[in-house]
Amino acid sequence: MRKRLSQLFLDWLACTYGVVLFHRIVWLEVISARPLPFAWAGSGSATILTTVPDWVLYAIVGAVGASIAGFTGASLVALLRGELAPNSWQRRIALHVGSLLLSLTFVTGWIVTKISLTDMFSSERLRAAGRIFSSLLTPEFSILPQAIAAIIETVYLAFMATALALPASFVLSFLAARNLMREHQWTRLLYTLLRIVTNFTRSIEPLVWAVIFTVWVKVGPFPGMLALMVHTISSLVKQYSEQIEDIDPGPMEAIASTGARPLQVVWFGVVPQIVIPFLSFTIYRWDINVRMATIIGLVGGGGIGTMLNQYQMLAQWHEVGLIVLVIALVVWVMDYVSARIREALL
Amino acid sequence: MALLEINALSKVYPNGTQALRSVSFTVERGEFLAVIGLSGSGKSTLLRCINRLIEPTSGSIVFDGADVTHIKGDALRRYRQQIGMIFQQFNLIGRYSVLQNVLMGALGSVTTLDSILGRYRPELHTMALRNLEIVGIADKAHVRADSLSGGQQQRVAIARALMQEPKLLLADEPVASLDPATSHGVMRYLGYINRQLGCTIICNLHFLSLVREYASRVIALKHGQIVFEGSPAEITDDWFRHIYGDEAVEVEIR
Repeated sequence: MRKRLSQLFLDWLACTYGVVLFHRIVWLEVISARPLPFAWAGSGSATILTTVPDWVLYAIVGAVGASIAGFTGASLVALLRGELAPNSWQRRIALHVGSLLLSLTFVTGWIVTKISLTDMFSSERLRAAGRIFSSLLTPEFSILPQAIAAIIETVYLAFMATALALPASFVLSFLAARNLMREHQWTRLLYTLLRIVTNFTRSIEPLVWAVIFTVWVKVGPFPGMLALMVHTISSLVKQYSEQIEDIDPGPMEAIASTGARPLQVVWFGVVPQIVIPFLSFTIYRWDINVRMATIIGLVGGGGIGTMLNQYQMLAQWHEVGLIVLVIALVVWVMDYVSARIREALL
Repeated sequence: MALLEINALSKVYPNGTQALRSVSFTVERGEFLAVIGLSGSGKSTLLRCINRLIEPTSGSIVFDGADVTHIKGDALRRYRQQIGMIFQQFNLIGRYSVLQNVLMGALGSVTTLDSILGRYRPELHTMALRNLEIVGIADKAHVRADSLSGGQQQRVAIARALMQEPKLLLADEPVASLDPATSHGVMRYLGYINRQLGCTIICNLHFLSLVREYASRVIALKHGQIVFEGSPAEITDDWFRHIYGDEAVEVEIR
């Protein structure tokens, strides 16, 4: 019963989605070629019943579609769940509906992103592109000392974010490992809370964190470091705790059977199995952080990113070219070094 | 007074598997009790219930006159300190040296901070080396535990359990991942510990030939119930088929 209901609901969502796209994009944009700029909101003004809002109509037509799918069995959801018999007519129809939705999505995407090949390849635009590329390819070397100083700041910023995140992530990862926390209801609660918080903080991009922290503490490398640190903690906690969940429980059992305390069980039964992967994750994270730190500088997080932002605002493309060159070099070196260290560890 | 009394012990796992069904038996001091039965008959669950690595669902465990079925915290740790345990997979910490692994047997009597900093009392060091001598690998004290062969690792595990000066030693399939020659080596050390050091042993075993050679008494489990209890010599062919099923053929290990 629950399965039938969820199928009906999901079919309704899919049908309504199809109806919306068909009316808003195919009908209003392509067929009637409305002169207004495209927008999701507002009345399409081409509907039959002008007193009823468009969105209610979409939902009703979607419901009709879902009911038909439910009665005939030619349901898209059933198809995705693999419930339709091969070569049945229901399956063929569901496949057609599915490919129609996919093509509608592609057409909508094309219109929404305002893709315009004429803009990209007009002679005027091509001249602008040529100008910027030739400037980037002839970097201005006189600002090299400042660029090096800035990238050093960036590398240290990334290092501090990683180093400060390390102990916090280490401690938290044990509390976020299911195999260590499932015994009692309080530890299970803590585990769940921690998982929710880290999943949430991780889903916020470091760039957004940087914006938040530039308001909290003043603009410069410090908010950039804080932003990277928060993101690093939530990422490392996830990676670390997954590693802990993968360990062999045997040594833990052996240590517990000697009458050791819980902390000793973790220190001797768990930690020796995870140090090497932890080190490897951490070094990789530093490498990622160097790359992210350059981006974070764009919103005032200090380092080479801030410098890049300044020259780009002044449209001094030769200087920008040099900065991009320096970033590329350092990122490449970090990438190489971190890969070699991790290879040596494993 | 018996060393261990198990009364009507049952265990149902959260997934509904009934691993033990009202198992009762007593273990006298100095016994070498073998537990036999097919894989999945509840042997491992039984051993882990005794030292409470697994919580029994019902029934009681009386050790040395005290009911230990529901003790917690420090009391549970003091109880576990009196019971050594060795495992089929040895469960050593491979990255640590043999000596460090043996010292881990004494974790219950060392504070958490001291153990993390590696500060073990000198007498524990002496004891660890002596225990390594008992199992004949004192010369390997400073090599990494994972560089040893299987039989040697199991002997390190025995030395680790001896650090607890256990009244009872639980052995969960101690030779199941070893070759026949090494198996006898490990079993002989268990026999020595049983007779010379007076340590009571409960040992899960697969091979009846080993049971006949080393055990003083046997219980057999089938589907979580005791189906045989007696001396090794009493296991006739009929009993064997009853315990292991009609298709089973006894394999000897020499």
